[in-house]
Amino acid sequence: MANKLSEWIENRTGLNNLLKKALNEPVRGGAKWYYIFGSGLVFLFVIQAVTGIVMSSFYSPSSTAAWGSVYYIQEKTSFGWFIRGLHHFGSSAMIILAIVHMFQVFIFGAYKKPRELNWISGVILLIFLMGFGLTGYLLPWDQKGYWATQVATNIIGTIPVVGDYIKILHQGGSDYGNFTLTRFYTLHVFVLPISLLFFLFIHIALFRKHGVTPYWKLSEETLRTRIDPFWPNQVFMDIVFAIGMYAALAGWVFWNGGAELQAPADPASNYLARPEWYFLFLFELLKYCQGKFLIVGTVIIPSLALIFLFVLPFIDRSELRWPSKRIPFFAAVFSGLAAAIALTTTTIVHDNRDIHIVHQREDAEKQADRAKKLAANGIPPAGGLAIFLNDPLTLGEKIFNESCNGCHMVKGKGGDSGPDFTNFGSREWVSELLKNPKDNKYFKDSGAMPPVKVPDESLRDMTEFLLSKSGSLTNKNDESIERGKELVLKGNCVICHPIGDKEEKKVAPNLTDYLSETWLKEFIKNPGDIKFYGTRNNMPGFSDKLNDKELDALIQYLFSLSKDRLLVSENENNEVYTSGQSFFYTKLKLKTILDSFVCLR
Amino acid sequence: MGGTLAAGIIAPIVGFVIHPWLKETVYGIEDFINIGKLDDFPIGIPKKMTVTSSKMDAWNIFEGLVIGSLWVIRHEDNSLNVFSTNCPHLGCGIDWGTEENMFLCPCHGGVFDKSGKKVAGPSSRGLYSFETKIENSNILVSCKKV
Repeated sequence: MANKLSEWIENRTGLNNLLKKALNEPVRGGAKWYYIFGSGLVFLFVIQAVTGIVMSSFYSPSSTAAWGSVYYIQEKTSFGWFIRGLHHFGSSAMIILAIVHMFQVFIFGAYKKPRELNWISGVILLIFLMGFGLTGYLLPWDQKGYWATQVATNIIGTIPVVGDYIKILHQGGSDYGNFTLTRFYTLHVFVLPISLLFFLFIHIALFRKHGVTPYWKLSEETLRTRIDPFWPNQVFMDIVFAIGMYAALAGWVFWNGGAELQAPADPASNYLARPEWYFLFLFELLKYCQGKFLIVGTVIIPSLALIFLFVLPFIDRSELRWPSKRIPFFAAVFSGLAAAIALTTTTIVHDNRDIHIVHQREDAEKQADRAKKLAANGIPPAGGLAIFLNDPLTLGEKIFNESCNGCHMVKGKGGDSGPDFTNFGSREWVSELLKNPKDNKYFKDSGAMPPVKVPDESLRDMTEFLLSKSGSLTNKNDESIERGKELVLKGNCVICHPIGDKEEKKVAPNLTDYLSETWLKEFIKNPGDIKFYGTRNNMPGFSDKLNDKELDALIQYLFSLSKDRLLVSENENNEVYTSGQSFFYTKLKLKTILDSFVCLR
Repeated sequence: MGGTLAAGIIAPIVGFVIHPWLKETVYGIEDFINIGKLDDFPIGIPKKMTVTSSKMDAWNIFEGLVIGSLWVIRHEDNSLNVFSTNCPHLGCGIDWGTEENMFLCPCHGGVFDKSGKKVAGPSSRGLYSFETKIENSNILVSCKKV
């Protein structure tokens, strides 16, 4: 019965014949590991296509829904984080493999006559791959994609005469909005895949026509006598490579907990715009092409590099494939690669060393975690950014920036007439204050308090005690608190600072429940009160300027500055997480992974 | 070997695609929705009411979202019949025929009486009805259970 069916299908389609022809393709010189890259790329493309198609059944390309739908894929579906991770990191793997494939082809001289069109179609495919990366980056509509793509579309705008027109056409209007997403989505899921398939068909058909380009050292005799069919040896190598790649890719996705999703795109923010790593060299190049030379970096150099790749088979016309006979071309291609690597490395090293960029990244991560936390309760129809509208932390940060940042610096930003609030209220912040109140980070010369001269361990104990009543300290150490209590209450501190009775007044601030919500509220309302700084106070009071809601929000924000404080979330599960949140987020990712397995079971 | 690779790829994809089987994607509709005061409904005459509720739809939370409509009939003893406005045959919207004194489906000729019973047409059952209760003269309808 099965045979009859198979025969019936074969008579009408010729499928078996076609398959046999494909599997019996002669591999001159025998199956080799260095032929695996092309089929590896096809395998990765299939992974990208399949993961992309299933994600598109959850994704919504509009400026109000895109972030929410990607958040849903990432955090709420079973295996969504893994599928998205495969798709995200798979694109990087494709770029790496495409470059390796291109270099293998170049080194073997496989672009030479009669394979010129094979090479050209390969270069076109590489351009399409980069197009996929560029268009896909924007689709989550998060901060990272939004700002990086802004740079890319502005680069398009620098093309003389037609630049602005192309830019408007590309982004669907004079500014980013719904049409930007629908256009990028159309390019990403229809135009580019169809175009890529078309050229991939040409690329493979030409490859089949001309066959493999063997290692240049193999003799004609070997090539004539050693001919393997594609199946089984070469297929075996290709499958082993595919399994290895998939294992590495899946491992990488697990290791990273899936792809990153930053906070929803905020056109009002000053987010650090950085493209995906494979565009970093172009990004860095622009730093050296300023003013009227901008076009050199945006258009001229990239165009020259592409033109070189396209015409390479026509300028290197010699039939010799030995690298030693092609030194000028090797020099040109490898210097291009070295320049790209150098530019990429320069950006990465610079970004990792620049403290402002490091802080900006930390803030972005914090905001992303906060966004995911808030989104768990549902995203308003107005879009991802609307989740922050009723968020006390966001309001608190806004109030801080408007009312406090002029005097209190945070992470290098802001005025310095008041104490620096970087890591405010943490153990480190308090113990350094005790150690040297006149430090530039604290009260400078206006500080009246003498330094607390005790061993570091005692200082830690005193800090632990002082913060023990703040009500939100993580990992409290009861023994340390007891030792600190002894040191503070029986030492010199209580000569100037009342501790224990909230209303007691002495010459220095009352430290009962120091840095707790109540203490901070009263202090911010009236720092000149006799129980705080009295006549020595320089800070304005905010009792008339902030209402209770604003004051609560400001305190939430101040708590969030410390890595040792807890924030109690507003959701019904009443989950508690530190303001640093990395631990929480790792746990959350682990939970998502476990949930996925539970769901499957 | 190829089978192992295929299984490793297909398993998470299947797990992802069948998500709507594993978790509720539309939820959060209020248990009992207030559709108005009892006195606002004339006795014996069906009145069509629009129903609004909060709702979670995948990633979105909606407040006051129109989730559908209902036919409400108040009887003399203040008991209520609340019917879906969709025909139980294939879901077309049904109208109240004043002259016929019946619910009429414009698609395939379904006819239903005031108690929701099928009188004529292709439907295999009567109109879908909803559980109701009256609290402080307000009519509350559970739109979850048909």
